[in-house]
Amino acid sequence: MNDSGARSAMPQVSEGLGRAMSPQRRPFWKRNAPKVPGRSVQASPVRENLKDQKPRKTLSFQDFEDNTSDAWDDAEDEIIALSEAKLSFENLLPASVNHGKTASNHQASLPQRSKETTAENTVPDFPSQSSPGKSDEMSNISRQKGVGPGVGIRQQSTPEDVTPPVLPPVPTPPTFPTSEDTAESGDWTLTPSEGRPNPPSRLSRQLGRACSDDKSLTEREGAKLKKVNEFIAGPNTDLDGLKKMVWSGVPREARPTVWKLLSNYLPANVERRSMMLERKREEYFRFVDQYYPSRTQELHVETWRQIHIDIPRTNPLIPLFQQKVIQEIYERVLFIWAIRHPASGYVQGINDLVTPFFVVFLSEYTDLDVITEDFDASQNLDEKALCSIEADCFWCLSKLLDGIQDNYTFAQPGIQLKVNALRELVKRIDAPLHAHLEAHMVEYLQFAFRWMNNLLMRELPLRCTIRLWDTYLAEPQGFSTFHLYVCAAFLIRWRKDLLRKGDFQGLMLHLQNLPTIHWGDDEVNLILAEAYRLKYMFADAPNHLNQKKNT
Amino acid sequence: MAAGPYNYSYIFKYIIIGDMGVGKSCLLHQFTEKKFMADCPHTIGVEFGTRIIEVSGQKIKLQIWDTAGQERFRAVTRSYYRGAAGALMVYDITRRSTYNHLSSWLTDARNLTNPNTVIFLIGNKCDLEAQRDVTYEEAKQFADENGLLFLEASAKTGENVEEAFLDTARKIYQNIQDGSLDLNAAESGVQHKPSSPRGTQLSNDQPTNKEGCAC
Repeated sequence: MNDSGARSAMPQVSEGLGRAMSPQRRPFWKRNAPKVPGRSVQASPVRENLKDQKPRKTLSFQDFEDNTSDAWDDAEDEIIALSEAKLSFENLLPASVNHGKTASNHQASLPQRSKETTAENTVPDFPSQSSPGKSDEMSNISRQKGVGPGVGIRQQSTPEDVTPPVLPPVPTPPTFPTSEDTAESGDWTLTPSEGRPNPPSRLSRQLGRACSDDKSLTEREGAKLKKVNEFIAGPNTDLDGLKKMVWSGVPREARPTVWKLLSNYLPANVERRSMMLERKREEYFRFVDQYYPSRTQELHVETWRQIHIDIPRTNPLIPLFQQKVIQEIYERVLFIWAIRHPASGYVQGINDLVTPFFVVFLSEYTDLDVITEDFDASQNLDEKALCSIEADCFWCLSKLLDGIQDNYTFAQPGIQLKVNALRELVKRIDAPLHAHLEAHMVEYLQFAFRWMNNLLMRELPLRCTIRLWDTYLAEPQGFSTFHLYVCAAFLIRWRKDLLRKGDFQGLMLHLQNLPTIHWGDDEVNLILAEAYRLKYMFADAPNHLNQKKNT
Repeated sequence: MAAGPYNYSYIFKYIIIGDMGVGKSCLLHQFTEKKFMADCPHTIGVEFGTRIIEVSGQKIKLQIWDTAGQERFRAVTRSYYRGAAGALMVYDITRRSTYNHLSSWLTDARNLTNPNTVIFLIGNKCDLEAQRDVTYEEAKQFADENGLLFLEASAKTGENVEEAFLDTARKIYQNIQDGSLDLNAAESGVQHKPSSPRGTQLSNDQPTNKEGCAC
């Protein structure tokens, strides 16, 4: 990896990303207009130019946005034809599913793929239940453009089509091989410096920001906290603005509130917050009164037993989670969630997903780092605090799971589809690595199943997961679609090590024990930067494909 | 990591199955690392382990897939049965329910593996004699009736762990020797390595290996 240089430049990266992320922050794009590519809808001619030339057109972000909106409009007919009702639900699904459902007229070209890629019983038999709370959120998302980055990946992903037409094949894989349509990918990827282009360093270079000493870092952190607190203070928190601000990480002090806001748990209106919290906490404990006694009934005893076995095995290395009072909180949260969501029920891995919320919400009550320092919950927290944390965990977990529930329903179609999408993505962005894995019979499902099922929590230290979730909460479909790009970036992060392994055993053992133990924010930021670049590169691709088909 | 590509003459594939919490991962860990892992997190999907053993003077590399016990993961774990030369079926001697579920695990194993797959029944946690809920005799009888090899073992103390993995390998090796296991058959779960130190990418030449996964 040639990321060592980039790592030293990381302090700006997060900042830079935050900017790159925020479509409405026009100054960034304007300022860099000549360098930062926009997407041209009529981009097919670009292919001829691609080889040795960057797109000449100077595009502001506004141009870019307008153009992509147009592109979306063209494709919309097809989707609308399928019915509005489906629309909001489909955006819950990974992009590739989205494709399978929406572009049914393309099915003819797909069946072999779906047959070979999913087990027979995993044919997307999507749960028809709709959990409360997801519809609002999701219909918003559905109206955003670029919701289906993976669509294009599947649609034109037969290996024959994707021979990179213009680029030196190795070792500069991360190009969008059929990139006739992506002016910006031309700019992002067709200027490979050495090895893989490095988005963070490119970004920070483009931003021309060069303050990386600790002092200015602390200052900027302080300034960020101040700004975030201004957002939080209301009277009506601008959630979009807040998301842009915290995409690159939430200051620790503000994290509990920001996470609750971005989970759509806490209302944007300041005055309603305390009332709402009180109401939701009461509601949760009504559930507990109502359902928890049923854990011994025959219907639920199995669920209960599974949870009960798993809790002591959750975060086994962190003493905090061996405390009885906390294990009981987990048991209640998981049991109540499970029996209120019978389509999935309790699935191992969901227990892990409580932890980031728990640690973050606990941090409201202590300055200790509860991950590394001893913290006796029953001594340091009163009953009320524990109850608040528990209820908040329950609701935020529920919101999170609403967006990825098909990961946990029968045959786990969400995971199957995401693993397939990951495979297709890696095949395109890093063909040598993909070929290496294939040559040694390493299947993506063998290692990436866990990445999807546990949202990389088994692969990363907890502190990194928390940082990762800052961004997931700030990203539309962060825990589903964006996570896929993160997984791709994460896999490619290890390409050098993996390419060196010459046999199946070596590859599998390495993939199962990736050395992230010393990782911190910088490493996560790098992965996120790359993931964002991938998302950006692949966003809207389906529209271009559709255009190609239509004309 | 094994250094040379041919410091072994066979690869045998194993799968470990059984209810949640019976100690499948701990057995694997005890076997590959010779350590008891007290704080073993539950397995998600499948996990992989490997170790080289010796049977009748032949070095054999075991490739072991440890599966998640939870029902919801079966869609994924089932795809690992095919191509297993050995299946270790584990229950917990202190929890009768895990023993009662054996017939369902056995059905899966019979249906999804090839007829020559050696199935070894392990009653784990035999160090917890005071909490025993399943007698040795009834389990032995179950094993005999179904043609399974059987041992009680303890991933904690290591008792009989080596034996279970090695006896399975011996039985597979015996099946190879007496011709009842056809190495060329698809999904035999066994790969024979030529003794010449040539060609490091043998797995490329082994198309039958492909069945390892459903994706």
